[in-house]
Amino acid sequence: MGEVAALPMFGVDLDKTQSVEPVDVIRRHLDGRFSIDPFGADPQLQDVLAPLVVRLVPVRAEGMHHIPSTGPALLVSNRGIGVLEPTAISVAVRKLCGRRLRVVGTPEIPIVGDALRKLGSVGNYPADLGALLRAGHLAALPLGVNWLRTGVGIAPTDMLVVALGYPVIPVLVRPGGPFGLPLLPWQVTFGPPIVVGTLGDRDPLSAAELAEAAREAVHALA
Amino acid sequence: MRVLITGMGGELGTGVAQLLEARREITEIVGVDFVPPRRRLRRSEFRRIDPREREKLAAFVTEYAPDAVAHLGVYEPGSRLPARLAAEYTRAAAVGALGAAARAGRLERVVIRSGISVYGRGRGRPGVPDEDAPVAPTTPWGRSLLALEALAADIGRRHGIPVAALRMATVAGSHMPSPLGRVLRLPAVPVPAWSDPVFQLLHADDVARSIVAALVAGTDGPLNIVGPGAASVWQAVRLGGRIPIPIAGPMWSVAAHAVELAGAPAPPHVIEILTKGGAADGSRALDTLQLGALRSTHDVCTELFEWATVSSLRPQPQLVEVSGG
Repeated sequence: MGEVAALPMFGVDLDKTQSVEPVDVIRRHLDGRFSIDPFGADPQLQDVLAPLVVRLVPVRAEGMHHIPSTGPALLVSNRGIGVLEPTAISVAVRKLCGRRLRVVGTPEIPIVGDALRKLGSVGNYPADLGALLRAGHLAALPLGVNWLRTGVGIAPTDMLVVALGYPVIPVLVRPGGPFGLPLLPWQVTFGPPIVVGTLGDRDPLSAAELAEAAREAVHALA
Repeated sequence: MRVLITGMGGELGTGVAQLLEARREITEIVGVDFVPPRRRLRRSEFRRIDPREREKLAAFVTEYAPDAVAHLGVYEPGSRLPARLAAEYTRAAAVGALGAAARAGRLERVVIRSGISVYGRGRGRPGVPDEDAPVAPTTPWGRSLLALEALAADIGRRHGIPVAALRMATVAGSHMPSPLGRVLRLPAVPVPAWSDPVFQLLHADDVARSIVAALVAGTDGPLNIVGPGAASVWQAVRLGGRIPIPIAGPMWSVAAHAVELAGAPAPPHVIEILTKGGAADGSRALDTLQLGALRSTHDVCTELFEWATVSSLRPQPQLVEVSGG
């Protein structure tokens, strides 16, 4: 076995302490000397692939100042087919804030689900989202699917119950091309954090209020 | 405080006894197990009792009448005992020791060793469950732990005492008998062909620290205790310089038999970690027990592979004293 350096615990924010040189990344992955978090994300792999994704998915963003530079926060966004919108938000956050975004909703499909987890996605479970926020990550929770992108989908109350007490930021994401085609840069708009009064930790009524407020806030950005 | 440690003969039980010996408020420490402690203890008393001798165990515990119980008589299948015996010993130790301790009338608090296996793994279950996540174990080890938790919680309710169930990640280390550790240390290790699940490990020293912290604080309810960070199965195998053998579907039962023949029994909960992973959110325990920094999964994994390999000693040429003159 080769020498094993003590690796720092990283993966949350601007702590890219490992090399992103392809040769070094391959060598470390062959030797098993890289960090991985309990959700399965591989921050080094994320950093290596980020420039490629940033080039493939051009974005134009507004209201980036609403995103905290450190610490936990939840972005709630509209969703069409469910793949491109979270990617566009991830690119905007990565490019303009330098933070890694953890998108909620990994499909439980062999190989695909595993690959998405390595790139930072997490399961669609309240426990996973709660653990993510407690660990200080920036998470994105897409609202209900709206295939024709004609409005804003339903906000999942069971997921938002674990986000009570954390900053919740509405996000509107739209393709830039005519007829909703993703031809021009995506338009990503971040709104001010949603404020709702809470009756206590994990209170279902407060979560329902937050869900309604989130849906209205995303709709208001349109 | 008079403390009873069940399972004192194991690495964890001995470690807890050593830590308790350093605390002034712990006036007496008594331990029971079917094997003696693994290291020298200065002021602890040890009684060798097989947990299956229920009446003998109950009589001893009743006579001692502890104020607190650290219940570590929880035997992981394939660790020191085969799967069938491990479940039997775990059940017998819980029924004999906890029941008698409660009936003795002085019991104030209980801490039991449980595991994150109680959450189960697979489709429809969170990858990183917290203590509020539903418990639905998917292996005999997980079901055994859940039954133990239920028994201890019932005793706590009836007698109005706090019962802390510390749900540990897989405990491993160079000196810790661990079925997962044995499998990972084989020259070639079965790994999932189509996935790379993530698991967490916990160092034995951190287990002992958390149990003592929960016992002293009189914590109530379940707490996840996991090492920070995680490792994937493929990563752990490569970290140890082992050869990964990709396995898919029904071939896992063949792989389980093969590794057993190679000297590393792989009970269902070990196969579950290799195929579906095993992680949990331990943030609540860090806050509640003020544990400070725990050894990371990566460090524990590294230590696992630093275990000295068996090497044959070459006969040394006999030294001959040569005197000058």
